[in-house]
This record gives sequence, structure tokens and C-alpha cells, in this order.
Amino acid sequence: MLASCNSEPTLQQYFVENTESKDFIALDLTTDILKLNKAKVTSEENAALETLKKMNILAFKADEKNPAKFETERSKIKGILKNEKYQELIKVNSGKEGGAVYFVGKDDAIDEFVLFANKNDAGFAVVRVLGDNMTPTSIMTMLSVLKKADLDIEQLKPLQKMVPN
Amino acid sequence: MKKFLITVVLALMPSVFFAQSAFDKYDGLDEVTAVIVNKKMFEMMGSVKSNDKEAQQYMSLVKKLDNLRVFVTSSPKITSDMKLTSSKYLKSAALEELMRVNDGGKNIRIYVKSGGSATKVKELLMFIEGGGKDETVLMSLKGDFDLNDVSALTDNLPGGDALKKGLKGSKGPKGSKGPK
Repeated sequence: MLASCNSEPTLQQYFVENTESKDFIALDLTTDILKLNKAKVTSEENAALETLKKMNILAFKADEKNPAKFETERSKIKGILKNEKYQELIKVNSGKEGGAVYFVGKDDAIDEFVLFANKNDAGFAVVRVLGDNMTPTSIMTMLSVLKKADLDIEQLKPLQKMVPN
Repeated sequence: MKKFLITVVLALMPSVFFAQSAFDKYDGLDEVTAVIVNKKMFEMMGSVKSNDKEAQQYMSLVKKLDNLRVFVTSSPKITSDMKLTSSKYLKSAALEELMRVNDGGKNIRIYVKSGGSATKVKELLMFIEGGGKDETVLMSLKGDFDLNDVSALTDNLPGGDALKKGLKGSKGPKGSKGPK
């Protein structure tokens, strides 16, 4: 039992292994990205934000040279996400491109959200939103905070490479 | 006893088999756009606390849903396959036809599996056969919900208009929640 648990590849391992790889773009975001005016944040919103710890993004950029690697890496991710630990919430798929949202934890105490998006000629991206006992309500609150927050664009710079100009 | 067991297994098989996979084969095909929303998502959405009255109504419906699958394609080959699969499924899962509309070349059919009362539904299946350049839509919604509530959802779905028309024409008083 123990051995089988340990041999399962996890997203955490996958992130660590590929962060340095040249085909990948890795990005760690903290909640500081929301340059929030503390005075404007209600205590309720603040409590919701407290449950959020950080966000890790790992993106694979597909080009002419790496189609084989793209396929292997993408199926590796898909394999990892098949683990029961990742509970699927929504999936959209059109054959050429697709996306899915998973979560880890209990309904009212969510430890992690995983967003997975892929497009055949562009690459794929995995976003891990890590938190501590997040609840559906706190997430909705966070989203509403996001709407009024100024994003610190500097932190997102590396991602621009993904988007063709 | 053995015979009995075999009968039970055979009787259960279609429901077990089809519970998951009747339409799942369309997920991941190049020519099909698939949207799948799972029970967990509905549960989560339903547990969001909100003070907005309209949102609350929406949440209470959402809580009663089990899963939603939508498959859209413009391939004639897959369309005919969907037609076949869904007609097989309708028989095996004992769904009844709720309505049938022919709207500008589009053939829309809605089937339901009814629950306790006239407007209570356990499953809703909609099939829009698109001729020519129109897309074919196959939608399956499972749960334990009221037909009258669904119209709140339909605005955001393909074929929502047709569904709304159909629901208005269906049994059960419009606007009020079931009998009484």
C-alpha cells in the first residue's frame, strides 16, 4: 500500500522536475500580486484571501522542434490528473483544444485547485492554486476581490512569451 | 437462485453501463466540442452563500443537479452516430418524449425521465439535429429537479430558446413551483 502511494507521480514532483527545463515556463505567484489597498478590503474579503497561499504556473510552449515532447508531457500530466485525488469539476474539450478544472480536498475545505488547459499548436499550461481550507464561498469572494484589484503585471511578464505578438 | 442472480445482473447492466459511458465516447473527438460539468461542481456552486435572491434561486436548482454533458458537432458522420446512440439510449433508459419542434430546418427533440410528480424530472435529454451548416447539439442533464426551474439555466445553453419554449408548453403551471 505504502509503496504504491509513493510511486504515484504527483503534480508537485512534476513541477519540480520541469521548472528548469527550457521547454517550460514556470511561474510562482504570491497573493502580493493583488496590489490591494488594505483600507478598501473588508474583513470578510480579507479572511477569504487569507485562505489562499500561492499560485504555481507551469506552461509548455509548443513549437516546430518539440511536438513529440509536447505529446509525452501532455499525456504525463493527463495521467497524473487521473488520480482520484484530483476531483474533476468541469471539462471542456474540442479535440484541438481543451481545459479542465480539478480540486483536491473536501468540498468545504479545499487544499488545491488545478487548472489544465491545452491547445494543439500552442502548448499547455497547468495552474495550481494552493490554499488552506478554501471554501466555495471564499473563492467567490476572492473572485470579486480580483475584479477590483490592480494586478501586478510585472509578476506575469514571463507568460507573455506564450502569447504570440 | 442462480437464474435470479443472472436476471438481476442483466437487468442492472444497462443502467450501470450507460450511467457513465453512453455519450462519453464523444468526449475528446477532434470534431466534437464537449462540455462536462460534474456533480461536485454543482455541489460547490450550490454551497456558495449569497444574499442575492435571484442567485439563491439559481443555487437551489444547481444543488439538485448531478451532471451536465453537452456535445456539439458539425460533422454529419458524428451527427448520425449521435442519432443512433441517443435513440438506443432512450429505449434502454426509458426516457419519454417531452416535445418535438421543427424550427427552420432544425429538428429539436427533448426527452425526459420523470420523477415523482408531473414536473419533477430525473433526466433531461435534448437533441438538436442540425442540417447543413447548423451544428448538432446533444445535451444530457441529470439530477432530481423541477422542469420549471430549468428555464433559469437554459439561457446559457445552446438550444436554450427552444428548451424554454418547450418547457412553457409542458404540463404544470408556468411560473409556480409545482402543485399547490
